[in-house]
Parts: sequence; C-alpha cells; structure tokens
Amino acid sequence: MTIRTSFADATEAYQLPRIVQLTPNLYAACFTLMKMVPARYILRKAVAEGQLDPDTVIVETTSGTFGLALAMQAAHLQRKVVLVSDPAIDDRLHRRLVDLGAVVERVPASAGTEAGGFQAARLERLARVRAEMPASFCPEQYSNPDNPRSYASVAELLLECLGQIDCLVGPVGSGGSMCGTTTYLRTVLPECRAIGVDTHASALFGQPPGPRELRGLGMSLLPSNLDHQVFDNVHWCSASAAYAATRELHRRHALFMGPTSGAAYLAARWWAQANPSAVVVTLMPDEGYRYQDTVYDDAWLATNGHLGDPPVEPTPVDSPGQSGGGWTTFEWSRRQIDEVLAVGTP
Amino acid sequence: MSAGPATVHDLVRRRPFDPHPAGFDVGVGYAPSHHGELLQGMFADASGQLRRALVTLPLPDRGSRAVFSPSHSHWGVVGSPELTKARRAALLTLREFSTHPSPAKGGQVEITSNVPRGVGMGSSTSDVTATIRAVADYHGVSLSREEVARLAVLAELASDSIMIDDRVVLFAHRDGMVLETLGHSLPPLVVIGVDLAPEVHVDTLALAPAEYDDRELGAFQVLRGTLRRAVATSDTALLGRVATASARINQRFLPKPQLEDVLAVGLRHGGCGVQVAHSGTVAGLIIDARSPGVDAAIDRCVTDLAGLGLEVMTLIRPRVSPR
Repeated sequence: MTIRTSFADATEAYQLPRIVQLTPNLYAACFTLMKMVPARYILRKAVAEGQLDPDTVIVETTSGTFGLALAMQAAHLQRKVVLVSDPAIDDRLHRRLVDLGAVVERVPASAGTEAGGFQAARLERLARVRAEMPASFCPEQYSNPDNPRSYASVAELLLECLGQIDCLVGPVGSGGSMCGTTTYLRTVLPECRAIGVDTHASALFGQPPGPRELRGLGMSLLPSNLDHQVFDNVHWCSASAAYAATRELHRRHALFMGPTSGAAYLAARWWAQANPSAVVVTLMPDEGYRYQDTVYDDAWLATNGHLGDPPVEPTPVDSPGQSGGGWTTFEWSRRQIDEVLAVGTP
Repeated sequence: MSAGPATVHDLVRRRPFDPHPAGFDVGVGYAPSHHGELLQGMFADASGQLRRALVTLPLPDRGSRAVFSPSHSHWGVVGSPELTKARRAALLTLREFSTHPSPAKGGQVEITSNVPRGVGMGSSTSDVTATIRAVADYHGVSLSREEVARLAVLAELASDSIMIDDRVVLFAHRDGMVLETLGHSLPPLVVIGVDLAPEVHVDTLALAPAEYDDRELGAFQVLRGTLRRAVATSDTALLGRVATASARINQRFLPKPQLEDVLAVGLRHGGCGVQVAHSGTVAGLIIDARSPGVDAAIDRCVTDLAGLGLEVMTLIRPRVSPR
C-alpha cells in the first residue's frame, strides 16, 4: 500500500537481501554485505544513545566484512574507525577500507604461532589502541546482543515475502545472523528448523580448533552470541566442497556469491531435495568479487587441490569430534554444547 | 453465545445519518466496538521514531449510539457522570465547529450502548466516536475518519481505530495517527470470544504503558511484516499466528489466565490462533471462515471452552459467506 522510495543512504541500500527463488522449495537471501545489518543497527543505536559523539573513535577487531560495514556506516556518520586485523587481510578489502578512511592496524605474522593465535594478539592490540584514545566505541560483534537483534529486519522481510518458512540454513561465525534470524522467525513460526553450516577445525559446534582454509565462517573461540539451542542440525563443510558448491551456484543459478554462501547452498539444497514439501531459505552473506582470483579461478583451484564436483550428500556423524573432513552432518537437536559433547547422538 | 441484542444497530439503521431531519433538532452518531487487537506494540513511523500502535479487531454487532441535543444559550456539555470522555469529545468537536453558521454553544450527550465495559472491547472509544459523529451530524458535517480519530485521541488520550472502518490500519493509538495501511479488509475469520477474567475491570487509563525491551521491539517489526502479508494475501492462518505471538508478548504486562489452554482448544479443532484485548480481559479464538466444517469446529470449540469454565460471549462471523 506504499510506493517505492529512495534509500536514505548506501548503508540502508545495502542492508537487506534480495530473496531469490532457486528451486520450487528453495530460496536464497542474497546479501551484498550481510554484516551491514548489525553494523548499521549497532552504530545508529550508539549515536541515538549518545555513546558515539563526533570525537569518539569506532574500534573493532576484524579482518573481514564486518570491518567494511563499519567503515561504510562510519563514513556516513563522519566518525573515525580503527580496525585491528590479521596480517593476512585481503588486499582488495584493505584498499577499500583505507579509501573509506579507516585505519587498519595489523598484528605481526609471528602472532599466528603464539598461544591464542591471531585472535588473542588482536584483542591485546585492540586494548592498547583503546587505552591511547580519549573516547572509543567497540561494537563487539561476538558478544553484543544487538548483533542478533539487528536481524529482526531480515526475519521481517522473509516473512513478508514468503509467509511460511520451514527451515533456515546459513553459515555460522559470530552466531548473530543465524541465531537472530531464526529466533525472530520462530516468534511467528515456532516449528521453523535451523541448520548451521560450519567448517572443520572450528570450535563453534564442538570440534577441536585448528587451522582452517575456509574463511568467513567458523571460529577458534566460542562467541557468546552463538546460542547453540537454536540449531536443529549442524553441517561441517570442507573448503573444497564449499568452493565447488559456490561455482555450481554461479553456473546453475547465475548467483555470484562468496564461498560461505556456497557452503550454505550445499547444505540447503540437499535438505530441500530431501524435504520437497518444506520451504527452505538459505542466507548468502556476500558476493563473489573478493574471490575472483581464488574460488572463481580454475587455475588457483587446481593448484590448491580444489578441483572437482561438490559431494552429493553429507556423511552423518555421531559426534562433532568424529567429523574428520569433507562434508558431514550431525543432529544437534537444539541442545547446549556441553550436553552435546557429553552425550553425542541424542 | 449470541452476539447480544442488536437493538442499537437496528435503531441506527432505522434512523440513518441524515442532518437535521424534520422535527429532530438533535445530532445522532453510531460507532461499533471491537474485540481487542490482532497486534499491539511499538512500531517505527516513517521517520523511524517508535510509536505505540495497534491493529484493532472490529466488532460490528456491538456499539454505542450517541444523541447530541444542542444548547444555544449555555456553554458546556452535560451528560451522566460516567461519560466524562464522551463529554470531553463533544466539547472538542464543538470547538471544531465554532465558525459554523449556526454552531451549538453546548448541549447534552446521551449514550445508548451494548458494549461491555472494562473488558477491553473499546466501550469508551465507541462512546467517544459516536459522540463526535453526533455533534458533527447536528452541524450537518461529515468528518473524515482521520479527523474523528484525531479528536477521539484528544478526548481520551488513547483510542483504538474503530472509526477508520474502510481499511486495515496500524494505528498509533496515543498519537491518533495511521502508521500504515495494511490492506482493504481482514481475511475472512471467525472469532469465538470469551472473557478470561470476568471479575476484573480494567481501567485503560490507570494501566501503565508496557515497557518493551529491545528483543520485543524486534519481534513487533517481524509481526508487522507478517501481518502485512496475511492481510495482502488474505491468509487467516498467518493472521492467527501474528495475533497469538502478540498475545504471548503481552502476557508479561497484563497476563490472561488460561490463555494457553484457550489456544490449545482452538488448535485442536483446526483454529489458527488466539487474539486478546491487550488492555482488557477478553480473548478470541481465530478460525478461518473458509475452512471446511467451520460450523462443527465452532460447536466443538464452544463445548471445550465450556469445559474450561468459559462462556462464549461473542461470535464474529463474516457478514457475507466467503464461500
């Protein structure tokens, strides 16, 4: 009953996904930059609550797209941003951040081999950076409850578009998008299932942490924004499987998305095929541009041993620790992580 | 389980809104009541500011009829003492007509109503709206729905949206402002209404406004989008889910005893949810009026509600058979 109008600014234009139908019962929520949802919500709220006056610097530890979203929103708000990142920050992303006026502090490469790894070194550097500033604001995406809350806007859009959603599938990092969106969908649809997509050697769903090739999902630590009791199933996806699925998503549906979207697509497509009467939605967090020289480059894939089609189906496992490699799945059954690790299969 | 005597409605039907009919130097106005809300909470307006707002479930079979008898010599409006809000509404409306060629200075308001009081069925808004319409009727003027809404909120601080009867709106009940038009009409629904606390009388003005937390504010945003779809696609089942979620959020503020038991009765017999008066004691089971066997489902719900000790006091059905 309303006419379409312009967006107030670029961050508003970027925050909501396009809902695209892939098969009769599978839909993709395609974001340009999903992290814009929490970044915009948290920073605008901080301004409204007087926590972000013009002299206050926005600081955060990130080497990914949350930093980009913060820098974009900060450009609108005319606030300074300091981001503490790994030495391995993607060069294209780095150039974009600097162009937006963000200061990017990198911890040394040697930190990667020390206890706690880059994560601990980044947190320590963040604390030092803040100590030198008269006023700073840290959005704390891993623990700020406003991160999951910000996804009410996504749940609103999905329900307005589709009405019925039987299963939501998405990659898990901070836990914000999957826990927030699922929780809000369940205010209307309590029966809605949630499938989290993680990668091997990530601590999020109980695997022993270790080096991981697939980036943008998975963590070495447990973020407090991850509410394990939201999830019905968990899938662990290898880098090879995610990359192959990302390419298939592009070739079959012409959706040019990043590898976490590919991993989510792999699990969502399989579940949607197995449950043809259920409506399935999968979250696709970012686009493919950053990965043109890697995931979208056959020579790079061959050099790194990632050629081949994606696996057809996941291997069910009885406990998170049993999940060795490839593509595996586990019945999480909305349990606490301690409960899962103590028992295994329900 | 009848909808009560339809006398008020009949009276109005017999005497249509006809300014200054021969021999009657009075104004008359009618307003229906409602059966609580389908959704109530806080929602962003076009500028992003959060406002308290609701979506009313209209109840056309009950209402208030106001008769305004003018005085051209005395200022002020008289009426029975319990009609404070209606008298205030008459004064405010008279002020609107001060530049009219022959305005009344004051007058008397009499109300005939079959709306139960203190249960959340909008008896006072019904009185106030009927009064505003009666004063306007006396002056031979038809006020717009939005104008009536503005005057009603001025008269009673918070007013539901029964005067906006040509569409489904999300109405800021303390600002007298439509936040959003959700559609032309509600999906076809049957509502089986009960009073969950007949011994309790709720004074709307004495009730502290609900203090929603951030999680609940997010839920209202989600429910608004869902209701938008339910109205646009005429989806009674989805509407029932929205009403149920809104009723559950409200349990933290004005809890309804037996809400979950009543909901279970409805779900057992093919219903799609429960709605409540967020500042009252009535609740209604929602059934899709198009579902097969709807009459049998109503009977079974009535029987099971009686088993819970609840007597059905309201039955809303679509005026025209949807089939």
